[in-house]
Amino acid sequence: MLEVIKPGLETSVQDMPGRIGYWEQGFPFSGPMDFWSFQLANLLVGNAPGTAGLECQFTGPTLRFHRDAVVAVTGADMTPLLDGAPAPMWQSFVVRTGQVLCLSFARIGARAYIAIAGGIDTPPVLGSRATFHQAGIGGMEGHALKTGQVVPVAQSDGTAGRRVAQDRRPPLTGAQIWEIEVVPGPNDDWIDDAGHERFLSSDWTLQARSNRTGFRLTGPEWTFAERAYNKNPEHGEHPSNILDHGYPVGTVNLCGQTPIILVNDAPSTGGFINPYTVPSAVFWKLAQSRPNDIYRFKSISLEAAQDMSRHINCLCTEASITAA
Amino acid sequence: MIFNEPVFNPGGDRFIEMELGDEMSFDLNFLVHNVSGLIRDSQTKGIIEIVPELTSIMISYDFEQIRYADVVKEMSALFHSLGSLEDLELDSRMFYLPLHYFDEWTRDCYDDYCAKIAEKEWDPEVLVRINGLSGLEQLAQVHSGTDYWVAALGFYPGLVSLMPLDPRCRLTAPKYNPPRTWTYKGTIGVGGALCSIYPDQTPGGYQMIARTPVPIWDPAQILPAFKESLALFRPGDRVRFIPATREEYDYVDRQVEAGVYLHNVAEYQRFSIRNYHDWLATIDESVRF
Repeated sequence: MLEVIKPGLETSVQDMPGRIGYWEQGFPFSGPMDFWSFQLANLLVGNAPGTAGLECQFTGPTLRFHRDAVVAVTGADMTPLLDGAPAPMWQSFVVRTGQVLCLSFARIGARAYIAIAGGIDTPPVLGSRATFHQAGIGGMEGHALKTGQVVPVAQSDGTAGRRVAQDRRPPLTGAQIWEIEVVPGPNDDWIDDAGHERFLSSDWTLQARSNRTGFRLTGPEWTFAERAYNKNPEHGEHPSNILDHGYPVGTVNLCGQTPIILVNDAPSTGGFINPYTVPSAVFWKLAQSRPNDIYRFKSISLEAAQDMSRHINCLCTEASITAA
Repeated sequence: MIFNEPVFNPGGDRFIEMELGDEMSFDLNFLVHNVSGLIRDSQTKGIIEIVPELTSIMISYDFEQIRYADVVKEMSALFHSLGSLEDLELDSRMFYLPLHYFDEWTRDCYDDYCAKIAEKEWDPEVLVRINGLSGLEQLAQVHSGTDYWVAALGFYPGLVSLMPLDPRCRLTAPKYNPPRTWTYKGTIGVGGALCSIYPDQTPGGYQMIARTPVPIWDPAQILPAFKESLALFRPGDRVRFIPATREEYDYVDRQVEAGVYLHNVAEYQRFSIRNYHDWLATIDESVRF
């Protein structure tokens, strides 16, 4: 059991693969945004890689442990302290009954993950413990952690002193310029050649108004292909309007002139075009970027995106774990 | 138009958009839900989830189990196995929902928008003017005079896109620009050629004309209708709105609050598109109620 002394900015219970089977009713998958760091945290403490853990955004929580536990912290560097002394990252360690684990603001990256041997044991809702706070379901009473809550943890033994090799972690450097790979489509034929060229050659700034629903970007104007103007009127007035359709997770949703990358808690459908999609292997970059960071997009093939994903899946295995 | 061959486009490494046409029509949407049913029943290995919409189906897949090209091949084969549109049928439950037209809550929401965001014409008057109706009484008659088809779910859990099945009751309306920051739960709105019910207090853009006390989704699953699903509707269901006085509205609202309200639904019906087309041929579409 964990007692929440300070909740942090928005700390939520997440699991993988998240809430599957209810997308057509409007429920997103949710789950951890940087699923690479998340799975490694679970592996460190001996959990299955998708076991429920905590996602900490920008500022982490302060937690008191009500019994002994094996814990790992991965992802953004939030300077974890155990009873005031530095605790390691990317390494499993023992927390004794009564000890306090404190994460502060993210020095590098934006999202940290805390895994506890046994996993968070909140009741699953629609097959998942993942928090979807807009609808108030999953996690701790449907929302991010609150001061005073006691978070249930399943009983399990873990092993302390296990470590993720340096070259098997997401490369977080603190650099503020990110190369973000994208796959063209599904609606790339609604943008003209100049529009594609501008998207792929410009700097895009991540707005502060970004969250687990969408990442809003600021950049140059979009221009559209003939198809975006010459369409049935029921598609809507603006060239970025289309008859309501499903939204892939990761898609670059063009809402008027504002591109919004739709992420884990995004709406399932809507009436705007999606010219490009960020593949799953690139989500860790989205998760670890901060407001005012710069995105530079690079178009890759579907095959290349799937190869990148396979590579990360290989890294999220026991083979990445060594003795400390 | 309805395409002879579906069009497939990738959405990153794990999604595919399957477009069956590019018009707002009942026939196309009926086709979408028939194809979706076939996809579900096929249990094709590697297909994880589908989201059927007005004209298209979003498919999520596991590329370690099925390649992109094989999804395209399998889905095309399912599409071509359907046969003639005229012969298709779908199970279609009918829900009866009480609603109170031109109510004080949507008026309050409209007033709040005018005071804080932008002045605009009152929503029911927008609908009367744009659709050439005689007044609010005819708007209520026309809006409640048809069965609605649940064409799609999504955007927010439980949110529905409803198409009027009787062409004499078609209404169109522009959307709020800029959108509202909030809308009362249970608000009935019209936007474009669609009608919607707001499942919860959410932002919105449809013109508001009524409110229903009946919940259409419930994460706490209190009422019997939500025991098996958090969302009331499935695509292919139908909805009939029953005009209610304020007293009737309050009566239903008290039953909902007490956790004893029984949703009024008929589950024995099957929708035949041939019967629907035959009926359309007998009516004069230019006449309003």
